[in-house]
Order: sequence, then structure tokens, then C-alpha cells
Amino acid sequence: MFESHIAVGKSLERIDGVEKVTGSAKYATDIRLENMLHAKLIRSPHAHAKVKRIDTSSAEKLPGVRAVATILEVPKVIEYWFSLRTEKKKKQMFLRDNVVRFMGDPVLAIAADDQQTVDKALSLVKVEYEPLPAIYDPFMAMEETDVKIHSRGNIAFKVNKDYGDIQEGLKKADIIIENTYRTSKQKHAALEPFGTCVALYQSNGKLTVYSSTQLPHWSRHYLAGALDLPLNRVRVIKPHTGGSFGGRCGLIHGLEVMCSWLSRQTGRPVRMSFTREEDFIGTETRHPMTIRMKTGATRDGILTATDVDIVSDVGGYGTHYIGVIADCLSTGVGLYKTPNYSFSARAVFTNKSPCGALRGYGNPQMNFAQESQMDIIAEKLRMDPLELRLKNYRELGEIDPVLNEKILSNGLRECLEKGAELSGWEKKRHQWKRYQRSVKATRNRGIGLSIMLHGTGAGKALPDPASATVMINADGSVNLITAAADEGQGNRTVLAQIASETLGIEFEKISVSETDTETTPIDCGTHGSRQAYSGGLAVQAAATEARNQIFAYAVKELGAAEDQLRIKDGVIFEINNPDNKILISDLMRKTQIEDMNVCEQVIGSAAGVAPAMPGYYGAVFAEVEVDTETGEVKVLKLTNAFDVGRAINPDLVKGQIIGGGVMGIGFALTEGLLIEDGRILNSNFSDYRLLRACDVPEIVPIIVESDEPTGPFGAKGIGEGCMVNVASAISNAIYHATGVRLTDLCMTPEAILKGLEER
Amino acid sequence: MKKMDIKIHVNGDWYELAVNSGDRLVDVLRDQLDLTGTKEGCGEGECGACTVNLDGKAVLSCLILAVQVDGCTILTIEGLQRGSELHPLQKAFTSESAIQCGYCTPGMIMSANALIYNEPEPDEDTIRKNLSNNLCRCTGYDRPVKAVLKAAKDMKGDTNV
Repeated sequence: MFESHIAVGKSLERIDGVEKVTGSAKYATDIRLENMLHAKLIRSPHAHAKVKRIDTSSAEKLPGVRAVATILEVPKVIEYWFSLRTEKKKKQMFLRDNVVRFMGDPVLAIAADDQQTVDKALSLVKVEYEPLPAIYDPFMAMEETDVKIHSRGNIAFKVNKDYGDIQEGLKKADIIIENTYRTSKQKHAALEPFGTCVALYQSNGKLTVYSSTQLPHWSRHYLAGALDLPLNRVRVIKPHTGGSFGGRCGLIHGLEVMCSWLSRQTGRPVRMSFTREEDFIGTETRHPMTIRMKTGATRDGILTATDVDIVSDVGGYGTHYIGVIADCLSTGVGLYKTPNYSFSARAVFTNKSPCGALRGYGNPQMNFAQESQMDIIAEKLRMDPLELRLKNYRELGEIDPVLNEKILSNGLRECLEKGAELSGWEKKRHQWKRYQRSVKATRNRGIGLSIMLHGTGAGKALPDPASATVMINADGSVNLITAAADEGQGNRTVLAQIASETLGIEFEKISVSETDTETTPIDCGTHGSRQAYSGGLAVQAAATEARNQIFAYAVKELGAAEDQLRIKDGVIFEINNPDNKILISDLMRKTQIEDMNVCEQVIGSAAGVAPAMPGYYGAVFAEVEVDTETGEVKVLKLTNAFDVGRAINPDLVKGQIIGGGVMGIGFALTEGLLIEDGRILNSNFSDYRLLRACDVPEIVPIIVESDEPTGPFGAKGIGEGCMVNVASAISNAIYHATGVRLTDLCMTPEAILKGLEER
Repeated sequence: MKKMDIKIHVNGDWYELAVNSGDRLVDVLRDQLDLTGTKEGCGEGECGACTVNLDGKAVLSCLILAVQVDGCTILTIEGLQRGSELHPLQKAFTSESAIQCGYCTPGMIMSANALIYNEPEPDEDTIRKNLSNNLCRCTGYDRPVKAVLKAAKDMKGDTNV
């Protein structure tokens, strides 16, 4: 394994910490431009309707009102960047019509001199709707042919994939378990509400948009397409971002395009900022899924077959609905070496708020089903759930049949072993079970486990470019130019560490660029747990090129062969004659300024795509206490071990594991939007319950390093996987505590009480 | 809306301001005084991102009208630093890796600052309860709680509000 010298593997302080603790870090909500207009949306009160007439005449007469834009002229972005690959597909990304498809769907926006004028103007607008029958249940949407939510029908996407022979696999099984699982409509609930941007269209035909997007470069493509502008006339600047978790994986429905349109009409900057309620009702959520799963195994606990059918509820518009399903497939098939796997799925439109990417993509849903099934099989076979996992997981060196890639690193066994040891798995598993059987207890304890696999990056499944430029200055300091969007996880810090280590120049001397499409080469963005890996590879390659250039100069300067030279702490020296040395700063000043025959800056650049989509792995051990009188579940402790390949910054990795753990508890126990007749009932933090400091248990983060050979210094991902299998572990722990098997998320006290009654 | 004149003491300076009767304290801080370190996360008093110190207490600036604080002393995240040196809470939040996206951080630090002012040696449980007024979606709270514990120790009762 690689041995670090200066930066990699060290828990260095994040580069943006001081800005953030002093309040000087600027977020999209803090951007104010001179002469700026304020804008707000009118949203549909109907779940499904045609907009018959829009009368803005009174509003437009109001002094201070500057522009109106409606869905009749402003297109919606309804696909993701896969569609950018061809002109034909690209055209289908944009939808311009007079239909609203969920309660809260934007109809029009008004821009005015100040917020009060906007509010008054909006109250003067008359919109006439022709209500259409609305469908909220995806199963009804599939059957109902009279009501078409989109012109192409209600099924957005369907897929069938078979590996092996499912019938043969089921025949070989000694036991077959079949269940149907349902998962909730989880919201990202980032602390900076989704939906603030400032757009400025200048008279020179150039559009600048301040947006918290995770994908600045793809967002530039979307804006250019929607407004019919050349790419070089669109600039996306991403300021600091108050959390994203997948929900800013593109543009926000009704935000940036609308704002840009208003700015183009007025030539003035336009700001729009959604309220928390608008974030809850009008922006993307996790796809709720119904997953029917049939799993077969032999008496010895060898999986023979998995047959799965998924119905994914897309809502009124989808952007990531294909990718989310693809993720169910790759993580479901990839995790276990089940020889016969039959996978079918449909993504279905309904008249509910749109769904998109949320930490884990489709994996948390799929994992809940699959890891519940595994727990049931272990119980039926009287086998330790840990042993069942060890017997079946897809090991190092095997071929992943979905990606058709060989597994080059896999630390899952170590995750399971370390997690079991530190959680006291074996002892608690036996003792707590005996206690529940011997005593008529009202507070039952249980321990459960689950495992997961998640892909790092998008591999070749989606266009996934990464680039970086490294410039060495005359004083030996370094500018790292990258479009890697940091949502708070700290990837800009990690990339600076990779640059530092590769160059042999101190971390403190690396400065990371702002995230701005005007000054950075293309990067796919921050999604799919990819930045340390894909972004890191680009930075490593760019820094290597810069380092080679430095060495070429040093060879001349020191009169030593290149293979005899080393860099450490900003000094280049000959390995067998360390006194023959030069400071990088002296060398760079010389070649850049002093020697007027040269005057060249060392610039290393790299662009391209990562060679693989390596899986990263994790095991979660959850301990719970269930109050059998109230049905309440208290999570006592999580022991979460993740194989991240190599932790470039262990503190940041642990931060992900702890934070993801808490989000996972929310997904398990408290989070989900409640919808009645199309209306979201819990659109605030009192009713949509996030965990608070007093609710969270101890979380023990364990880092396992498996050294991924394709990764920069062996690194893979962590950002999403750390929340993926928390809910399944908690569900399995609840079963251990009570004997109640829950199949629906989130797992409420009511459901547990009902389960206890039926037990 | 009716304009009213108020005088408030913010981060060590007095300001005379004309505000609308409906303006909230968070609006005046962010829009009139350009103190955008105070964040708005919900506007309904549920998330704690807009927490500032008002006469030594932690308050939610989205639930207070500007006209209510006429004559009061307010401390925001921008006023916490002592000269060029970071406040012990600010230092602890960086050194303990208690920050991710940072959007809840100013509110958390101001909640903690008022706590330590009123209770100089809080134990972990007290801190945990106190920080329960502040939602965080990134960190899982563990490290912010540890950062406040560390800062309280480092401060030894030397507080400013």
C-alpha cells in the first residue's frame, strides 16, 4: 500500500473552515447584486390541470413590476445529462406546455423591484385552470389509460434484466422467501433550503447564474439548452452550499431557468429564493418504491435465486428515474453472488412532487428489501446473519455481472469482522434474545446487521468527465483549478491533499479555485460518491504532469538524472546527494521570470474519465431498544464500518459515516412526506421530523482500507453508502428485539404496535 | 407598511435604522447591515440557523421583529471574533471537524455562546439538549457537541455576548 509523506491519509483541517465559522462564507442566499430584482412563483393549487388562461394585466400595471414569465414560454428540464449525448435526445430534455402535474408545480413568476411589490403583484394575477383527473398511486397510473400525465404515457421507463436462469435457481432452493417492501418519500432537508439563485443576463448576450448546483457544468448545458444560448455565453458560479444530498443534482424545478428568463427580459439581475415550505412541496424527493422480492437459498445458506420487481414512483416529473433504477440493479445484483437473478422495474409518473437523486440513489430502497430478506433467510435456517453474508457476498477477484468489471478491492469481510467485534455482536445477539424469551419485558433490546455495496462514480453508465489543472507559481505556491462542487463533505480539501501529495508541495501552499464554469474545465459534478475518486484521479494526473515538468527543469539545474530526483516539502534534491538541491520556489521563479529565455509557467492538466466504477462496501451493526407498550424505537448505538479504499482524510470520512448514519436513522424511523389527495401534509420541520442532537445515539465509525488499484492513492467513495444500509440494520434489530418484521419505511410506533398485536 | 426608527447595538456598534414594522430581525441583520453570517433555514423558528444573542440570550432572529429589539444589544457570528483571533468556539468547531456544509454552524455557535455565558461549565448532556434547538443535516451532531465541550473548557468562563 502507498505510504504517505505529507498530506494523504492525514486528518488535515478543511480549507473552508475559517470562512464558515466566521460567517464570511457566501452561500447563494447571501448573493446580492446591484440593481437586483426579486422574483417569486405562483404554484399550482391543483395536482393535475391545464392552464387555460393567465391574466397578468393588473399585476403588470403595478409600479415596480418589471417582468413576467410563464410555463407557456419557459421550458422545464425533465431529463438528466445522459440526454446531452445526442441532439435528438437533448431536444427531449426540455418541456414547454400548459399542464401542471403536481400541487405546487410552478405556473409563472414575476420579477419586481422589491419583495413586497412581488407579493402584491402575485395577488393580482388570475390563472384559470381546467382540472384534470389526478393519479397518486403508481399502480393505478399504470392501469389507467385515460389519464396521461405525460404525452408518452404514465410509464416513464421499464426494464427487464436476467442473469442466469431464475426458474432453475428457484428449483434448486430449499427455502423461498417472498415479501413486498415499501419505502417512503424522503426529503433531503438540507439546511440551506433548495431554491435560491441569482441570474444576470447582460446586454452582451452573456448569462451568469449563481446556483448551489452539484453539477455546475451540466447545469450550464441545461441553461444553454433551455435559453438557446451557446455554452460559452453561459456561466454558472457555485458559491458555498448548505448541503445537497443529491437534490441539487441538476437545476431546481422552476428556479434557475425561470430566473434567467426574467433577467433576459429586463437586463437586470434577478433573485429568487424558495421558502422552506416551497422546498418541501416543490423540489425533488427520494423515489418511493414498492419492491416485491423472492429469494431462494439452499439449506446450507447458499443463495440460488433472486426475483425482484420494482415499481418506482417518479412523481409529476423525473430527472434521475432511469439512473435510480439502474442503481437498484447494480447494487442488488452486485452485492451477492446469486447465480440466478431476475430484475424487472417500472418507473411511473404520478401527480405528486418530482423525485430525483437522494443520497444512495436507489440503493437505500433496494438494500432495505434485500437485507431484510437475508435476515429472514438466516432466521429460517437458524444461521448467524453474519455467516450468511460471508457465505454469499461477491468477493475480491470476481466479475460483477452488471458492470462487467472485475472486483479489484473488497474490504467487506474486514468491515463485518471489525464491526462484529466492536459492537459485541455475538454476545448481544445471544444474551438479548435469551432475555426477551425469559422475561416479560416491555423494553426489548435487539441487535441487527446489514451490508451494502455502492458504486464510486458513474463508470461508463453515464458521461462522467473529470478534469483538473495544476499551476505552479513563481513562489512555489500552487493553484488547483477544478470544478468539483463541494456541498459540505469537504472534497475540495481532499483534492488539495491529493495535489499536495503528488507534487510533494506542502498542503498549505495549495489554493483551490472557486467553482465557476468560466474558469474551470468540465467536471461531471459532485454525485455518485465520485469526487475523491474521479476528481482525485484528474487532480493526481494533472499534478503528475506538473511534477514531470518541474523535474525536467530540475534535471538541467542540478545536473542529476531524473530518476535520481525527489521532491519533499517544497525541495527538490538528489536522492544520493541530498545537498544537491533547490527550492521549488527558486526553480519556478527562475524558469518563469528570471530566465528571460524561458518565461514559462509549469501547468499540468488532465481530462478524461475514470477507468472503472469500483464498489465500496460497508457493514452496519444497529442496537435498538423497543418499548413494546408504546411501539417506540430508540437506537442505542450504531457501529458502522466502511471500506473506502483509502481514506485521503480520515476525519472527513468519519464525518460522512456519522452524518450518514444519522440520516439513515431518519430514513428508518421518522422521515417521509405524507400526501393526502395530492397535498403534502408535513411541509415543515415540526411535522417532517429530522433527528436532533438529543435524539442521536453513539455512532462508532470504522474505516477499512482495501487499497483500490484504480483509485488515487487507493481511494474509493463514501458519501452515499454510509446511509444506505442503516435502515435495514435497524429493521433487523427491531426484529431481533421483538419478532416483528416490518416491510414499510419509515417504521413508525404504530406499525410496531400493530406488528406486536399480530405476533 | 409603516417605517419606524430604531437604535440597536450590534457587534459593538450602535446603528440607527429605519425599518418596516413587519421586518424581522433576521432581515435587518442580513439586508440592512449586510451581516449575512446569520442564516435563514426555515423562517418558522424550527431549525435554529438564524440564532443570534440578544442581551445575552440565544434567540431566533426569524421570530423577532426588528422593532421589538429597539435599544437592545445583539451579537452575531461576525462579532464573535476577538480582533484577528478566532473565538474559542470558532477554533473548536474547526479543530474538531464539527463543520460540513456550514449553514447551521453560525446558529450552533451562537446557541453555544449564550449557553456558556449563562452556564460556564456545561456538561455533555446540557450541551446536547441545548444544541437540540439547532438542526444539522450533515454532521450527525456528535462533533458539534464535542466542539462546544472543548470550547467551554478552553474559555474557563471568559465569555462575550
